[in-house]
Amino acid sequence: MMNQIILGLSTGATYSLVAIGLVMMYKVSGVMNFAYANMGMFVTYLIWWLATGAGINLYVSIAIGIAFAAAMGVVVERYGLRPIRHLSHASMLIVTFGILMILEGLAMQIWGTDYKAFPELVTGVPYVFRGDFGIFVLRRQDILIFSILIAVSIALLIFTRYTKFGIAVRAVSEKEDIAGYMGINVGSVLAFSWGFGASMAAVVGIVAAPKVFVSPTMLTYYQIQGFTAAVLGGFETFTGAVFGGLILGVIEKLVGNYISEGFKATISLVIIIIVLIFFPKGLFGRNVRGRV
Amino acid sequence: MANNSKNIEVKNLQVWYGPVHAVKGIDLSIKAGSITAVLGANGAGKSTTLKALAGGVKYTGSISVGDEIIDALPVHKRVQNGIVLCPEGRGIFYSMTVKENLLAGAYRNKKVDYSSVLDIFPVLKDRINQIAGTLSGGEQQMLAIARALMSNPSYLLLDEPSLGLAPVIIQKIAEVIKRINSSGITVVLVEQNTSLALSIANYAYVLENGKIALHGVPSDLLKSDVIREKYLGGVAK
Ligand SMILES: Nc1ncnc2c1ncn2[C@@H]1O[C@H](COP(=O)(O)OP(=O)(O)OP(=O)(O)O)[C@@H](O)[C@H]1O
Ligand SMILES: [Mg+2]
Repeated sequence: MMNQIILGLSTGATYSLVAIGLVMMYKVSGVMNFAYANMGMFVTYLIWWLATGAGINLYVSIAIGIAFAAAMGVVVERYGLRPIRHLSHASMLIVTFGILMILEGLAMQIWGTDYKAFPELVTGVPYVFRGDFGIFVLRRQDILIFSILIAVSIALLIFTRYTKFGIAVRAVSEKEDIAGYMGINVGSVLAFSWGFGASMAAVVGIVAAPKVFVSPTMLTYYQIQGFTAAVLGGFETFTGAVFGGLILGVIEKLVGNYISEGFKATISLVIIIIVLIFFPKGLFGRNVRGRV
Repeated sequence: MANNSKNIEVKNLQVWYGPVHAVKGIDLSIKAGSITAVLGANGAGKSTTLKALAGGVKYTGSISVGDEIIDALPVHKRVQNGIVLCPEGRGIFYSMTVKENLLAGAYRNKKVDYSSVLDIFPVLKDRINQIAGTLSGGEQQMLAIARALMSNPSYLLLDEPSLGLAPVIIQKIAEVIKRINSSGITVVLVEQNTSLALSIANYAYVLENGKIALHGVPSDLLKSDVIREKYLGGVAK
């Protein structure tokens, strides 16, 4: 049971990272990014190609990939979404669908559809703890993903509470027009939110790739679960996104283990519906809210 | 406060919201160092006029500060030129603390100085870490003005600061506006509370249906029958 929970938390931490990126883009720009998984997928291919095809050091490739992801997010927001911001939300959603398909098509054209192996960032024997509680096992990959989640969470906390630009991000997500009257350049905050979100997608791709292999649909399931996690957390705060992901990961693992592996996905849909019925604002929703 | 001694001139200002012609060609002359009131009934176009001055809506016509035409400046750059709007309807950030709201107001400043603003609004000092959404109506209005002052504006555009407040608080706000103005800030005051506005303004415009119906110094406007009947509820002379 204990080990199941740890494995669940580890998967859940990846869902948290997905949810953090989705929530950032949604809170600031009001757009649900359907292309999120494919942005991460495309960048993971790029990193895989840089590291294995072009022979660049893996960590350098990762740095290039994340920078490329950020640039992609900024360009998509600036040139794909901002020109039609005044039209409607539906039109912006359609643009993200378009990008989803373009990236998938490009990846298939360039790299084909067969699965590619992606190197583990950390390897080595797992840590085993024995005690009154029994035995539990902590894999090094779990430690990596927990560390990434903790680092991202702390960085976000400091950023949104104590930096001027972080305050500007919150101001735009609550009242965009009034943020402008304060001298905040709303456009640069919008661009930032998409740049940040796309980099998170890249990080998710990198940590998921060793497990799921690199393929055009490698992150589709992660996007669905990240979205569920965000809804669980209220689609409002980063804290909600983090805990939503962890809770979902554990539930999914326990369902997969004790009920049926095939039920995993269905269960998350049921969870969304139940949460929305009993907690319309999510488990971590607040009464004072910005963009809905 | 670089532009402090410059007048703002507005020529033939027009604003459309889709098919709605909200402001239909108005001229304003805002003298440096003065309090200029903009009065009028609901929907007359007062808020729209202020938003155009701050660059928050698209308009035609021209707005100049001194010799410089500022029409090409986007909203966030006008703040750098000292023009700051304090929006109507408690446009504070509810989810942030008082301090974070003030910090947002100082977004363009290199140094952030809370003390001079907190001197004007001591009540905010006690509430500095409170979430703004939980402040009382009067405190929220004071926070809105304080936040606008954080950027050291040369021109403060106030949209209905008295809206929904008790008479005692309105009196306090009027004193604050006078104090702000005497420190050298040019004030444009949009109000439906005509008697309040005319008691502190140096000059006033009355908007009707997107056009200027009347303008003049308060003492003259107070003599006008139209003003007395329409905007002061027909009070005796
Ligand atoms: N965003 C908008 N979209 C469409 N029409 C608008 C918008 N904002 C204002 N209007 C219209 O423009 C006209 C002027 O509105 P404005 O807010 O400037 O009036 P106001 O004088 O400030 O009124 P009040 O005293 O009620 O605040 C009104 O007819 C209003 O309905
Ligand atoms: Mg108004």
